Amino acid sequence: MTTLLLDASVLLAAADPKGNHHGPSRAILEDDKIAVATLDLARYEVVNVAVRGWRAPALAGPLLAVIDRLADDGGVVTSAGSLLSDAAVLAEAHGISVYDAAYAAAAQTAGLELVSCDERDLVSKGLASLPANVG
Amino acid sequence: MPDELLAEVDAEARRSGSTRSAVLREFADAALRRRREGRAEAMRGLLDEAAAEGGHGGDAAEQVKATRPKP
Repeated sequence: MTTLLLDASVLLAAADPKGNHHGPSRAILEDDKIAVATLDLARYEVVNVAVRGWRAPALAGPLLAVIDRLADDGGVVTSAGSLLSDAAVLAEAHGISVYDAAYAAAAQTAGLELVSCDERDLVSKGLASLPANVG
Repeated sequence: MPDELLAEVDAEARRSGSTRSAVLREFADAALRRRREGRAEAMRGLLDEAAAEGGHGGDAAEQVKATRPKP
């Protein structure tokens, strides 16, 4: 059975019906044949985008509820010191932020496939797959 | 695993003409499947609720980067 680790961009794309990765992102979350996990950082990132980016604070609740459901499924990985140390190495090696690298480190440590809508910093560097390319 | 629970598993294995490990595997698979199905069902409701708020312009990855603290 496959377990995927989703970054915040996939959770947000699934909640944005006009988003370019909306369909495949939502399909992953609604697929009962796979387990789905994320990183605790995603809680901050989805709420930050809902409030500061989308100006839709009412969406904070549903987005956090989505992550709470993942906690009961594939899990919500904790950004512990060892994970962030690994993330620092990845960030330096790939020239990406520690935020992005933290998702990649979490996936690599747990042996999971990282799924992201971030083509520039994660998908193009072979660190993640686009939602449409999972499987 | 408590002896009583193990005895129940063994009884189920005898009843179904199976083995202890096969019964445990079956139970674990069923429990995980129920959990995944529950998550998938909950997602439909939550994402419908979010979609009712309308579109937000897409490009989620750039939105995440734009709202992160700047160094």
